[in-house]
Amino acid sequence: MASVMEIYQLLPKTNCKECGKTTCMAFAVDLLARKFSADDCPPLVNEEKYKENYDKLSGMFTPVAGVSETGLIVHTEKCTGCGNCVVACPVDVAADPQGAGSGRAPTTDKVIFKVVDGVVTANNVQECRRFGENIILCVACIDTCPTKAIEFV
Amino acid sequence: MGFGQFLAAPELKLTIVTYRDIFQNSALEVSRFDEKYEELSAIIKLDPNDISKLVIKDGETVTVKSGAEKVVVKAQISGYEEKHEGVAYMVNSPWSNALISDNTHGTGVPSFKNFEVVVQSAKGEKVTGIKEIF
Amino acid sequence: MTDNYYVCPGCALLCDDIEVETEDNKITKMYTACMKGVARMKGCSSPLECTVEQEAADVDASIEKAAAILKDAKNPLIFGHGNSSSEAQKVAIEIAKRTGAYIDDTSSFCQGPIIEAILQEKLKTCTLDDVRDKADVTVFWGADPANSHPRHLSRYSYFPRGKERQRGWEEDRTLITVDIRKSDTSEIAGNSGFFQIPIKGDAEFMNALVDGLSSKVPKTSFNFDKKKILELSNTLKKAKFGVIGVGLGLLYSLEELEPLFALMDKLNSVSNFHIIPMVGQYNMRGFNHNLFEETGYINRVKFDIESGQAKHGAEYSVVEALKERSVDAALVIGSDPLSSLPLPVARYLADIPLIDIDPCQNLTATKANVTIPCALGGVESGGTAVRMDGVEIELKQIVETDKLSDKEVLTRIMEAL
Ligand code: SF4
Ligand code: SF4
Ligand code: SF4
Ligand code: SF4
Repeated sequence: MASVMEIYQLLPKTNCKECGKTTCMAFAVDLLARKFSADDCPPLVNEEKYKENYDKLSGMFTPVAGVSETGLIVHTEKCTGCGNCVVACPVDVAADPQGAGSGRAPTTDKVIFKVVDGVVTANNVQECRRFGENIILCVACIDTCPTKAIEFV
Repeated sequence: MGFGQFLAAPELKLTIVTYRDIFQNSALEVSRFDEKYEELSAIIKLDPNDISKLVIKDGETVTVKSGAEKVVVKAQISGYEEKHEGVAYMVNSPWSNALISDNTHGTGVPSFKNFEVVVQSAKGEKVTGIKEIF
Repeated sequence: MTDNYYVCPGCALLCDDIEVETEDNKITKMYTACMKGVARMKGCSSPLECTVEQEAADVDASIEKAAAILKDAKNPLIFGHGNSSSEAQKVAIEIAKRTGAYIDDTSSFCQGPIIEAILQEKLKTCTLDDVRDKADVTVFWGADPANSHPRHLSRYSYFPRGKERQRGWEEDRTLITVDIRKSDTSEIAGNSGFFQIPIKGDAEFMNALVDGLSSKVPKTSFNFDKKKILELSNTLKKAKFGVIGVGLGLLYSLEELEPLFALMDKLNSVSNFHIIPMVGQYNMRGFNHNLFEETGYINRVKFDIESGQAKHGAEYSVVEALKERSVDAALVIGSDPLSSLPLPVARYLADIPLIDIDPCQNLTATKANVTIPCALGGVESGGTAVRMDGVEIELKQIVETDKLSDKEVLTRIMEAL
């Protein structure tokens, strides 16, 4: 994956704020975190001279099938629906201590993982601890999976 | 005896250990007559060295014999970290049960979990179908 | 909320937190059940047809034929039961009594000895809810729940927060696996929690643990690292609430249960340990309880047709009875012995008059003289079942069907006798 600097180099570097960020650098950080896509920078999309850079940036961030903003992928063909990740994820425990956190069916939609039709689905991934302000390198859903069905890219 | 014997594919004595697999088991719930169940059941997992001794390649079929019974299943490299030469793995299924002896020493409990077999290349032969096991 | 929860009959964990969506009396979507439970509850792709001598028949005709087969037989066998409701099992026991039949289930060649020891109070046990709330050390021995009971770890034994286990699995629980191969469950236990022993090494490893727990040098003929055994002994000793999940791998390797009794005695003199049998079929344990209540035996019973007395012993087990050709007809319910028994024994079963009752087409049905479809327990019919830990669970009917329930089929056969 590209570094923030490489991404920044491909942006207009005008700090025009049209994307809602104060600087292009800030935009680059969010682009890397997949909170934004290249399409969220209007000059990049609209101005002919940035076309090449736009294409490069879009290419870098073409969503791999099933990848969420945080880069979390569930290889559904490997998932057994055991629910280990559902119960182990600290976000799920905090959001639903009596349900998901206690091994039972989730009782709220605030959890990240749910098992639907025997395979896990991920929602609210923006809440993932590997993401956002206070990043920690959480591996709870990766380490607990018996079939290595969860991966971060 | 004679020439044919000389040319025959090498035979290997192995201990089979059976195990359970959730994907195979789920396929069973859907239908034991589906291809998918056969695909996930009629296999034997071998150590790479045993594969070489049998002069076969990953994915080829082998005959697995035990007493008077035999089945043809697909040989696979187990991919386990640890070496396990002499031991092969089969998922619990009609194919593995076909090889289990009814010798129980009067206990009522056959040896389902591990038993001895002789394995040999069955190059070109098809896997035994579930209805042909009988 | 809880009113919408159903019970999954996919295995003897009987998870009771399953939500479903239905359409036209079919389950279309399921929440929280594992892959195995979904496969079971959504139903099979090839349902069993109603047949007599492999020709299509109506239910009345097949029930009559089934009753005739049982009446004609001198020593019929009634086998299966693991996927039947307790209500159906009780009727099956009545039929066996009436016909002087052998009655047995799969526990005869798997978890039977353990369940017997538990019912006779020779082994200390606990409920899965205790495991969730209290267990700090869980050992799976010859068991791979990741494949056989997918939600065991997430629902009860390792990951959930429980009353006395509030800090999560990393701090509050220890998972140990003892097995002859590195199973998926062993992967989760990690290298420090996985103890790989040789084939048939279980008894010796148990004795070595007893030595370790008695501060003796733990020797094994396979030279297992003594330090590792002592570390494990120490972990077990320090457990506040320990559990051993006993799997088939252990049971098939032990010639007798003595080493397990000795280990449990030792563990309970220095610590606090419980046994949970890793029962497969959703109501196998229920059958053992029901037959025990009726006869004092959990399986391997033959009823005397005159006195109704129950005889019990290895010679009345399904395998021995078939092997010795002492059986002259069989009724199989909710089981597929033609695919689960050793072939020589299964062949004999295929040769005698055979009745198969099941929701789905199976190998036994292909050789049966009578096949009678029944409703899928836990989905198309309700009933009671006993979870692997002995707790009774009520299964609710989810969708409508015109098929008879397993209990109704058996009751009608009973009436026709
Ligand atoms: S819209 Fe584009 S050019 Fe403007 S500040 Fe944001 S990233 Fe920079
Ligand atoms: S990395 Fe941690 S917080 Fe993020 S989804 Fe996985 S378990 Fe949850
Ligand atoms: S832990 Fe793995 S196998 Fe289990 S539900 Fe999560 S992704 Fe699926
Ligand atoms: S663990 Fe067993 S009971 Fe629970 S959902 Fe899976 S198959 Fe059903």
